[in-house]
Amino acid sequence: MATANARKCIDTNVCGGKTEEDGVEMHGCDCESTSSFNSSDYSDDLEPEWLDDIQKNGELFYLELSEGEEEAALANANQGVATNHVRFSEKEAEILTEQNKNQRCASRTKGEPTLKRLARILRRKRRPSQRKPGAKDGGKENSALSSAPASILKNQPGQRQAVTVQQLKEVCVYLNPKRLAGSSAPLCEGGGLLEALLGVVHRASWSRGLGDPPEVRQEDRLTVHGLIPNSPAIKCGQILIGDVLVAVDDVDVSSENIERVLSCIPGPTQVRLLLETLAPADDSRAEHTSSVRKTKASPPVSQLVRLLWGEDTAELQMSIAHVPHIVMFLSLKLDSASPQEEEEILYQYPASEASGQLKGVRGIFLTLCDMLENVTGGRILSSSLLLGKQLVHVGYWKESNNLLVIGLPAERVPLLCLQTVVGDVVRTLKVMYGSLDRAFCQADHAPRLDHFFCLFFQQLIQPSRLRDGSSAPPTDVSGTLFLDGLPAVRWLTLPPEIKMEVDTVLSDFESSDFGEMSEDFFGLRRLYVILGSCLFYKSYLIANHLPKEDLLDVCLYCQHYCLLPLASEQRVGQLVIWREVFPQQRASTNNPGYSQPQGRHFLLIVGLRHFMQCVLLEAGGCASAALGSPGPDCVYVDQVKATLLQLEVLQAGVEERLNAPPAPCLSCADWFLPAARDRLDSLASSSPVFSKLAGAVRGSSGGSRGRSLFGERARRSSPQRSQSDSGSEGQMDAGTSLAPGLSPHSTPDSGRKLGGRRDSLGSGGSEGSGGSGGLFKIPRMKHPNPFFLGTLKKTLTERETEEMYNTMKLTSGAENTLFHYVVMESVQGIFIAPTHREEAQLSGSIHPQLIRNFHHCCLSIRAAFQQSLPARGRRAADRPQGWGLGPVKEHGVLFQCKPENWTDQRKPAPTMTYWVIGRMLLEPVPQEFYVCFHDSVAEVPVEMAFRLSFGLAL
Amino acid sequence: MMMLQHGSTQLLCLTASSGVPLFTRGASKQLPFSVIGSLNGVHMFGAGHGVVLSSCETEGGGKVVWRVFQDSMMLIVVSGGGQDGAGDSKEDEVRLQRLLENVWSCMVLVLGQDELTNVRNVERLKRDLRSCFSLIDQLLEDRQEGILGNLTHCADSLLPPNPTLLQEALDGFTQAADSEFGCLIVHGRIAAATEKWWRLAPPEVVLLSALIRSLSASGSASCDYPVFLPQGSPTVAHRLLRFQLLPGADVCVLCGPTPSLHSAESGMVGRFWTPLVETLRDCLAVGEHSLPRSVSLRPDVLALLLINRETRRSVSCVRTSTNRPLGDPPLPSKARCWEILKLFYIFSTTRYFNQEETLCVSPEERAQRANTDDFVLGFSHQPLQCYLVTEECKSYGLQTPQHQLFLLAPLSVPTFALRTVATQTLSDIVGATGF
Repeated sequence: MATANARKCIDTNVCGGKTEEDGVEMHGCDCESTSSFNSSDYSDDLEPEWLDDIQKNGELFYLELSEGEEEAALANANQGVATNHVRFSEKEAEILTEQNKNQRCASRTKGEPTLKRLARILRRKRRPSQRKPGAKDGGKENSALSSAPASILKNQPGQRQAVTVQQLKEVCVYLNPKRLAGSSAPLCEGGGLLEALLGVVHRASWSRGLGDPPEVRQEDRLTVHGLIPNSPAIKCGQILIGDVLVAVDDVDVSSENIERVLSCIPGPTQVRLLLETLAPADDSRAEHTSSVRKTKASPPVSQLVRLLWGEDTAELQMSIAHVPHIVMFLSLKLDSASPQEEEEILYQYPASEASGQLKGVRGIFLTLCDMLENVTGGRILSSSLLLGKQLVHVGYWKESNNLLVIGLPAERVPLLCLQTVVGDVVRTLKVMYGSLDRAFCQADHAPRLDHFFCLFFQQLIQPSRLRDGSSAPPTDVSGTLFLDGLPAVRWLTLPPEIKMEVDTVLSDFESSDFGEMSEDFFGLRRLYVILGSCLFYKSYLIANHLPKEDLLDVCLYCQHYCLLPLASEQRVGQLVIWREVFPQQRASTNNPGYSQPQGRHFLLIVGLRHFMQCVLLEAGGCASAALGSPGPDCVYVDQVKATLLQLEVLQAGVEERLNAPPAPCLSCADWFLPAARDRLDSLASSSPVFSKLAGAVRGSSGGSRGRSLFGERARRSSPQRSQSDSGSEGQMDAGTSLAPGLSPHSTPDSGRKLGGRRDSLGSGGSEGSGGSGGLFKIPRMKHPNPFFLGTLKKTLTERETEEMYNTMKLTSGAENTLFHYVVMESVQGIFIAPTHREEAQLSGSIHPQLIRNFHHCCLSIRAAFQQSLPARGRRAADRPQGWGLGPVKEHGVLFQCKPENWTDQRKPAPTMTYWVIGRMLLEPVPQEFYVCFHDSVAEVPVEMAFRLSFGLAL
Repeated sequence: MMMLQHGSTQLLCLTASSGVPLFTRGASKQLPFSVIGSLNGVHMFGAGHGVVLSSCETEGGGKVVWRVFQDSMMLIVVSGGGQDGAGDSKEDEVRLQRLLENVWSCMVLVLGQDELTNVRNVERLKRDLRSCFSLIDQLLEDRQEGILGNLTHCADSLLPPNPTLLQEALDGFTQAADSEFGCLIVHGRIAAATEKWWRLAPPEVVLLSALIRSLSASGSASCDYPVFLPQGSPTVAHRLLRFQLLPGADVCVLCGPTPSLHSAESGMVGRFWTPLVETLRDCLAVGEHSLPRSVSLRPDVLALLLINRETRRSVSCVRTSTNRPLGDPPLPSKARCWEILKLFYIFSTTRYFNQEETLCVSPEERAQRANTDDFVLGFSHQPLQCYLVTEECKSYGLQTPQHQLFLLAPLSVPTFALRTVATQTLSDIVGATGF
């Protein structure tokens, strides 16, 4: 009501002020005035944007995208610039009033107090996608717009000269009356359900004033005068201002009966609206409208962001309703004296048909949980059921007298990793709420839990849908399951000097030595002690000052809310999260001699662009005890923001690291298939440096050698491992001194000149050009003896030699055969894998497949490691019979792949074989390695790869 | 406090419609009736709601697997799991699933499908089922070393030194007995069989071998046993005639009403087999190695299982090594080797290699099995080989279009050499015996 009215006011203000101008000019004006606005600007006289989002219990989840995102969204919508702009323009008017008051105020000083209040009111209403208008794009849009005037504002005087034809159109929109009840916004006085539910603004009094076309002038016609942002009407993108609503689900409606008709909608459903629209008569206009419709259909922000914003999730939920999945929290203690229906269900989500079936058989879960403990002497972990044709795995978690049951389709979550998934959810819930009982047994948690599990299921069941609209590559479920299941965080190694600076900045922050926070300043106890913080850049952990368990707790929370991918794919304008947490390590430890201070803990996450810092705070202990449920403290948030701004200076350095050629070097699977060779040859011919390189290879290729499986016996030394390779050839000639240069890994300079992408391609280039007849034939060449560096130095400049030694290559041999790797260091709780960018650089058709396969295989390998863990520490003799395969140290699988769509009937498809190998080490520090490399690598290098990876981890 | 001991397995059989317990086998202490009732109850409850419960796992490797056969018989197997959670859960489930299939086939083999599906008198059925107990117990205990057929559903074979002689004698003998199905079993493994015998469904071949083993263990020189073939003729019984030729060597034929056991024993056994006594002795000497001496295995092969994927036959052996260099870690015992071999087979086939025997089972079973093998389908590329290094030994598995080979090697063999060892072993055996 207040919101809508306020909005209306602004609309009229803006429009009223510029009635003479046409819509286009109005935009230009707005854009100019907004262009100076910067989202990260933070002035003291303005309250922080997130202030009104703080909930009653002190929690805050505030997410705002930056201009960059809007631009990207605009760029995605190829032709729809004008449309989008019109849509934005409406917002711009608001935002302009709301935030960029300075310029406005210059002209209307009187209006300031009102505007400030207005701004606050406005903020209450979420406007996701359009929080920040595409300010920088203003000029461009403007020109685009002037060439194609917006047709959406049909009731503008300028538009009416065009000949228009009335048309009927059907529009399907999804309405959810339940959302009304839940939302804080009461029914708008004027608009009623039409406005609140559908999002269509109709003002009976306007009809005359604005002057509808004479032939359709009727008092009770439902002309669309405006659209509520974020409402179903605007989301569907096909309802335009000026349209007339004729019927709802075949019921004719007018302003008299519309409220009655809409109030008859019982629950979330899709309704069909019949609208009378004024289609422009001339062709170009019609074309334009169609393009409008098309582009409007694609959401400007990804579903994930919408989900995080807490928008209507029913639509997403409906799309997976047929997939059986459920979460239930059941009470094992039944009061048989008062048997009530479904009394034992303390919490349940979702309410779809397939999950209803699972809910119907909850008796099975309760009985099995109760009975099997006595039969086999262990708690129940999982069961598998067939629902029609679908196999569903059900995971259990029993805590005190309650049982958490999670059912997931087997095609998404194999039984092998079900336990990890359930364990992670339980831990996340415990971190967030302290215990499962506390999470589920409080009635007011239900909506939040719904949101929590909606995210959980969406991520597992339709991850691709969540990410659509963003530029992220298609996700593979196995990869998510594997990487998220590791008890570790993805780490990015930084050059030492940058790392040191980052650490210094973080330490400065953590010392809490800033003026307002020091005890001396106010003579008060400080509110919170900073226990530590960790810093993410584009989903990579770059610095961590938290103990491992705390880090994992924080990371689980971030993973669950998809904060890490969010920061890497989309520029976060501002992210502020505040909530009380219950770090598991601190809650449980009872070390003799030392006890943790009994304090309360709070998690503060602040994200700014690609940086995100998570801070763990403690109240109580040596800080003052927290009372009630305190909200975020501005001082702390500001300090974190200041830290992040300070760190932004280092962004260039981090980016450089991300752009650096991968170390250790990686190869793309496609290069090992002949189909890719042609492409590389053409590449070689197009690039002068490359062709020279290739020519050198050809020139020096004396003979060729079939390279097969483990059968390769010839030892070739590479500069990196030459120290260990004492038996290498001592002879050298001009050709040999050139030899290391043939592999781009040894000649980073040539690669660097070409940029990172070429650098990595280079290995394929030399490989491809070397292979003339057979599949994998490479030039046989002699290699320099590392102990005779003198001659080498004659031919290579000093710098080149140095760089040659700095490049890391794990595999031996002239060319690099490493495709992918994951190294997990469980003491620090981090893992290292090629960055997303490195993966993207190795684009190819087979390589992504290979990585998917690698992750799937890793799931199995890790499961094998996990299964054998409890048995470790027992001596073989003590083991009873039937105790399984025993502790697994190393496990490898050889795969064969063929190019897809092999059309040549005469020749069999070429194949490429590669290994995926995992190894678990317990000494000196527990580590797990997973590597994927081409079959041709000689046997000893496999060992080398493992050993060298020690140098990788920090 | 638990009702089932660690490592023990109990099999429950009930009528599917009414839930009347028919028998329980395995484990020294029978589960209380209340538990049996609940186990059956949850499955029935689920079925009433359109949810079919198939398996359940508990901490410490305990497992329960349910299966209803032909809508008439409910089989439940409860396994206590290992000592400290070291059980490979997935592996165990496959083993139990296979056990239930085998028990059902074995009940059909002995009693015929009609009697099991149309239960008129429960008490009588209970009595009749007793005749299956020895065979079921044999399946449950799975004690017999070197017999992997129950698991692989590939006939355990023994490669005799001179197969042609034996094959000719067997063909002649089978013809004389007015049958097309005959086989020669040495040390519980098939040394020779007629072509028709190999055309039986692989689970049937495995089951008949198991039956013959249990019959010959009884010590009688010959017997005449009515059998139903679970897939070939589940309702019409055939006669299985078994004659002991030498201790450890038996010949069998599947035949109709003629000839009588006596006439066959007196008239034909001597005629066909007396000239071959020496050959049979050679055959017996091959013993548990299953491979003739002409095949020289590399010294670093501890144990191996070779499966021919087309004929569904397998050979397996565990070698007792004699000359171990001092200082090496102790090698696993023979029994442990067999166990590791089994576990590694299950490990590889559930995760990487598909079992194509789904082609020859009933559609109903295929549906059920397709669901258990979901992990294999997740790979975008074809797994060819895999290896596992554990604290006791190294295992290597490889799959070619024709064969699957699983072998164990001592820890002293470098990992990179495993592949060469495996490929060479495969080519050696196939080259020498044409397996």
